[in-house]
Amino acid sequence: MRKLRMLWARVRGQAAQGREDNAFAAEIGEHIALLEERYRSQGMSGQEAAQAARRQFGNVTTLKERQRAQRGFLSPTEWSRDVRFGMRMLARRPALNAAMVLALALGIGANTTVFSIVDAVILRPLPFAQPQQLTDVQSSDTGHQYEDSDVSYPDFFDWRAQNHSFSHIVSFHDTSLTLTGVQRAVHLDGEVVSWDLLPLLGVSPELGRGFRPEEEKFGTRVVLISHALWVSQFGSNPSIIGRTIHLSGDVYTIVGVMPASFRFPVDALQNSFWTTLAVDNDGTPKALTANRGAHEMSVIGRLKPRVTLTQSNDDMNAIAARLAKQYPDTNTRHSSVRVESELKAMLGDTGTLLLIVLGAVGLVLLIACGNVGNLLLVRANEREREMAMRSALGANRTRLVRQLLVESVMLGLLGGVTGCTLAFVATPALLRLIGKSVPRAADAGVNLPVLGFALAVSLVSGVIFGLAPAARFMRGDLLSQLRDGGRTDTGGRHRLGAVVIVGQVALGIVLTAGAGLLVTSFIHLTRSNEGFNPDHVLTFLFETPDSRYENSRAQFYQEYFEKLRALPGVESAGGSMMLPMTYNGATVSFENPEHPLPKGQLESASLDLVTPGYFRTMEIPLLSGRDFTDADTEKSPQVMIVNSAFAQKYFHGEDVLGKKLKPGTSNGPKSPPAWRTIVGVVGNIRTGATDREMDPMYYLPASQLPNWCCLYSVVRTQRDPLSLEPEVRNLVTSMDPDIPVTDVRTMHERVALELAQPRFAMVLLSAFAGLALVLTLVGLYGVMAYSVARRTREIGVRLALGASRIMVLQMVLRQAAVLVGIGTALGIVATLASGPVLRAFLYGTGARNPMVLAGVCGLVAVTGFLAAYLPARRAMRVDPSVALRYE
Amino acid sequence: MGDGKSEVLQGTLDLMVLKTLYAMGPLHGFGIARRIEQVSDGVLDLNEGTVYTALLRLQQQGWITSKWGTSENNRRARFYSITRQGAKQLERETENWERVAGVMDRVLKLERQG
Repeated sequence: MRKLRMLWARVRGQAAQGREDNAFAAEIGEHIALLEERYRSQGMSGQEAAQAARRQFGNVTTLKERQRAQRGFLSPTEWSRDVRFGMRMLARRPALNAAMVLALALGIGANTTVFSIVDAVILRPLPFAQPQQLTDVQSSDTGHQYEDSDVSYPDFFDWRAQNHSFSHIVSFHDTSLTLTGVQRAVHLDGEVVSWDLLPLLGVSPELGRGFRPEEEKFGTRVVLISHALWVSQFGSNPSIIGRTIHLSGDVYTIVGVMPASFRFPVDALQNSFWTTLAVDNDGTPKALTANRGAHEMSVIGRLKPRVTLTQSNDDMNAIAARLAKQYPDTNTRHSSVRVESELKAMLGDTGTLLLIVLGAVGLVLLIACGNVGNLLLVRANEREREMAMRSALGANRTRLVRQLLVESVMLGLLGGVTGCTLAFVATPALLRLIGKSVPRAADAGVNLPVLGFALAVSLVSGVIFGLAPAARFMRGDLLSQLRDGGRTDTGGRHRLGAVVIVGQVALGIVLTAGAGLLVTSFIHLTRSNEGFNPDHVLTFLFETPDSRYENSRAQFYQEYFEKLRALPGVESAGGSMMLPMTYNGATVSFENPEHPLPKGQLESASLDLVTPGYFRTMEIPLLSGRDFTDADTEKSPQVMIVNSAFAQKYFHGEDVLGKKLKPGTSNGPKSPPAWRTIVGVVGNIRTGATDREMDPMYYLPASQLPNWCCLYSVVRTQRDPLSLEPEVRNLVTSMDPDIPVTDVRTMHERVALELAQPRFAMVLLSAFAGLALVLTLVGLYGVMAYSVARRTREIGVRLALGASRIMVLQMVLRQAAVLVGIGTALGIVATLASGPVLRAFLYGTGARNPMVLAGVCGLVAVTGFLAAYLPARRAMRVDPSVALRYE
Repeated sequence: MGDGKSEVLQGTLDLMVLKTLYAMGPLHGFGIARRIEQVSDGVLDLNEGTVYTALLRLQQQGWITSKWGTSENNRRARFYSITRQGAKQLERETENWERVAGVMDRVLKLERQG
């Protein structure tokens, strides 16, 4: 306790050195003045009195210096002396020190860059009031047999009315509408939310007001617009509030403008408007707001103060269980609810991936520290005489160790500054690589917390690699160094360096193996067959708003696709509502007369609405039966096509053509779901580039469900697909000038976008592994070269006594092989132990892939041999006579 | 030591300062030096500056505290006073000192045997 108190007093004292110095000077000045006064009153002259007073007080300068040293840890003079001396030492070996600074700069730069992303994505709280109260609320089922799912409006309304956990709970889902009545019609992304989104988030509009509860009612059309839209389309007009705009043919009243920084959902950077769930209510009993079976909404809640996640989970689960009893037809599979932190739910696996990358880059820095530590150790050996001399001249050991630590911390800081410069350059490049695959990453930048992190990392690494040489002096008998001159070294003395090398090799193996797994996985992803041919395929989307096309949609599309197919350079074209690689998808249940099930437990599968020609355009093989044709209309017999996984799963490979199913899809309130005949079987496809399975799917003709909107267009071209964009835009504009074409991309681009996350993980980890390997090899080379130099005399003796040069070569190589061998063995163990953390991010390979591990060990063995060979050859060429004369 | 003065034994100055503050109440550095001079009757050879090192040390240990105030002749001065912990420490140190002094006394009084 006493010691702690003393330490704390000194820490505080160090901080207040300057102020205390002045106070102390005043205090002793007063003391001396009083002494003088006393002597004068005893009859001395002014001069004599002053001298006597000083004599009695003692040496003021020494006292001040002692007082400073006692007050804190370092007196300013000692401190600046250490720093000046450190700078001289750094300047003395510029090449060696530059190498150390470079190694550190790479390590710290990489860490700072990755940390800037981690900071923006994981550490920074959500940009709303009391973000820790925000939770994601998902519908789930008790047995967790099915995935968590979105929520239906009626369920949400019941949650909102019955819960005791949330001060606000809000539903939201994406939407997109077309803004017309402006210079050129634009396609806008937006969000349909419940009225209390802004109170829930604790955000106010910069202009106007938020929604009111009554604005959820049928027929209301109000919007909040984004700052960006306000600026771009309405010239920042301050009197915009209350004005009406046309969105996809409906009239909306603008009630507010959100601040420029506002984003909801946080990862939806492009959202331009927010409207209430009144738009989902068409007043019929089949409206989305009344359909308990339509699970389309996400839900965010704000916990009441002092309500825990567990309490809210219990509360919500009780409600869901009640609803499942009350509505067995729709809610049997949604009998529970999962409430979790909003940020955690948003990040999902991505957070883990980022932490893995941060861990990897931390290991790189550790390896770099190892290198610098080893180099410092070498230098410390060279400086043994100097240290011994200083010690003999009266420097105490703490003082010497402090000198060494000051030097290494200076190295660390130099590396840190250089590293931060690297991070400034590298962060934007990394952000490009990440693209949109990590939510919130776009906010990343090298800012104050990040620089603080870099500074802390530099200081800590400075101390870490400074400790090794310092430890030597703490232990060793310095005077014996002075006696024997500290020149000859016989292997064993350099054990610390060897331990560092072993550790570096082990870490290098772990990193390289991890990178190897991600590379293997990525190659698997890019080479894996998607079930369709993405070459020369252009895709884009436009809306066909109900206001204009409610009764003529099927006709419009038929006419449009005919014109599209007629464009020069177009080979074939078709439409699909749930286009693969767009994150669009729907799962709908179906009745199967061969396996009748109660209504709440029907089987369900992914579904897509397509036009004739879609399969041919995508080159999805038609395995049996026929494609849809223009003859399949609302009036004609209702048909469907299934994929082979579907036929396999639900009909066990029997011939499915002619079988009948009733999917729960209806074309509006007046036409209930119909029995449909299976007329064709097509090949399986991967709907997401990172999907592990090709799931069962069924396809319905878009022409038989014309109320469903909207179709992506898929065009197979003979020339460069993107060169077709102007023609396509012209075609759509010629048919309806108020329909803007949006989301124009080649199919390859869509696949690449979906692979952005595995790609950046692979690129980053490979880069870090490469860096780690190079640093390790340089370290190995340095240690071997140094060891050979120290053993020159011993080798000379061996040669003089008749050892062959090959034996010397072998001896050195054996020494390296032992180090690399132990390191590799440890590395393999560590890799096998840590492999599973990557499992969720691997495709087509296990987390413990023996081929990858063997390859990595081979790589390390070969490069390690090369790194050791150069010094070994030098050892072989030692001239015994020169070596023996050398000392 | 030839002129009849004694150097201050290392470690004893802290005890002297502590005891002085205990006996006299709050004092400034000059006052402490005067008091020790008075009590020692000119026997101790004390660099008065070292009083301040002792004061800083005691203060860091939490045995005394200091406060700026005005001295009897109206000048600004730092006044030191003993804390409750300091009083306890003084008690311990006094006991310790008396024990050691007793031993020293007995050792030095040993008669030459035989």
